Amino acid sequence: MGTLEGKVIVITGGGTGLGRSMAFRLAEEGADIVVAARRLSPLEETAAGVRERGGKALAVSTDVTDTAQVNRLIEKALAEMGKIDVLINNAGIVRGERPKSMWEISDQDWRVGIDVNLSGAFYCSRAVSKYFADRKSGNIILVASGEGFRGQRNSFMYNTAKAGVVNLTRVMALTLAEYNIRVNCIVPGFVDTYEYQPEEYQKVMAAARTAAGARRLFVPVGHTGKPDDIGYVALFLCSDASDYVTAGIFISDGGGLAGGFATTGYAPVVSLKEGLA
Amino acid sequence: MTAKGFLLRDKVALVAGDSKAWSKPVAEALAGAGANVAIAAKGSPRLTEAAEAARKTGGKAMAIPTDVTNAAQVEEAVQKVIAAYGRIDILVNAGDIHFFQPFVEIKSAEWDKVMDYNFKSALNFCRAAGKHMLERKKGRIINVASGLGERGMANGSAYCVAMGGVLQLTRALALEWALQGITVNAIGTGWFMEPGRPSDETLARYIPEKRYGKPEEIGSLAVYLASDATEFTTGQVMYVDGGLMAHA
Repeated sequence: MGTLEGKVIVITGGGTGLGRSMAFRLAEEGADIVVAARRLSPLEETAAGVRERGGKALAVSTDVTDTAQVNRLIEKALAEMGKIDVLINNAGIVRGERPKSMWEISDQDWRVGIDVNLSGAFYCSRAVSKYFADRKSGNIILVASGEGFRGQRNSFMYNTAKAGVVNLTRVMALTLAEYNIRVNCIVPGFVDTYEYQPEEYQKVMAAARTAAGARRLFVPVGHTGKPDDIGYVALFLCSDASDYVTAGIFISDGGGLAGGFATTGYAPVVSLKEGLA
Repeated sequence: MTAKGFLLRDKVALVAGDSKAWSKPVAEALAGAGANVAIAAKGSPRLTEAAEAARKTGGKAMAIPTDVTNAAQVEEAVQKVIAAYGRIDILVNAGDIHFFQPFVEIKSAEWDKVMDYNFKSALNFCRAAGKHMLERKKGRIINVASGLGERGMANGSAYCVAMGGVLQLTRALALEWALQGITVNAIGTGWFMEPGRPSDETLARYIPEKRYGKPEEIGSLAVYLASDATEFTTGQVMYVDGGLMAHA
């Protein structure tokens, strides 16, 4: 028997990448999974994988930036699965911003970037909050990014939205604690989801597959993460093992955010004699 | 129950440091997940009790009376674990003594003691066990610290500085050993129940979850961080604090 036996978990952005690997890891531990994303065919593949692992699965085509569709997702999940125990807000576009000069970014570019990466998480959490509050039990997980803690040239919407996700976690955790709803945030670093990426970003991922390449991309451990590394973080946060954990920021990034004061791998040696001279 | 991916079957864990709160629940949790456990702390009934509690969960457990502030004794303790169990996979630094006094009244000797038990103990064990882990190119180090390593509190100067040191040691070693298969992370604790000490109700209301933590709630995070599932996680502090650190 798994540690998530009988739990129903809704994962947005569940058709590909981290969403899919979380779905599989959680299903391995006995959870039933509802996956949501815009495109239905990858969702169906994830759902099939969940069923192979013994879980019930439901795929619901959803645009998380559209409140009506989000509300329908939650209604449908409740109707078909009978309940929801955990919501994982994973939908987002990795970068998703074509390199543009700041003065060329349109209002529409800005809105889309913020909507997909930040507003969608709020809409989905809001849609399930009343239900969780009424049953006095709930668990919401958000997925941010190391980019939400640091700057990155030209990455306006993504980095801003992900920083927003981190603080949305804290505000929801404080607000919803009285209803016994926990809210936590997963912060993945550079995780290899190559096959799901657009061509231009695949080049970046391929470059990170050597130790030197990973270090250049600020991954001190010298290798990128596996999608399942993040699946396990989700497992810990979905399970009862994290009962007293709320407003937690769970960073899994190969050491990236612990550093950043010098180039990755920089290790100076200065003797006390030199230092005092 | 421990999830499959977090099991520590046949791993060797050393729980080090003097603490009224953490040694026993951490040792119990690691043993419960399948690890063989050694506990190094000041020789006392508390130490014996912690080892017995770990043994009851089914694994092997040993108590190693140690002056954790003494580097030579710490080195010896580490060698004893390796002699008995063959290696050390997991080091949990659980040293934590409480001391809160107005800054100007703190005597140098008191200041040194707080640094010794809350910081230097972790330093000694990281160095002694770290050498062994570097040879094996594998290891998990988990430092139990406190939100007070990051936040200030009146009368907390000595404690805050020591715990801040533990958090910075965590980050620096994580980077230094990043390519050697050793992860170094910290558990940030909030307000926890202590044996024989009533919880402060005003403080409990300040905590978003409206209650103090139970010491065993630290154990499950220690198990998670000790497991093979966290190889991409290093240099981080994870809080078990009922939401305290999100507070304004």
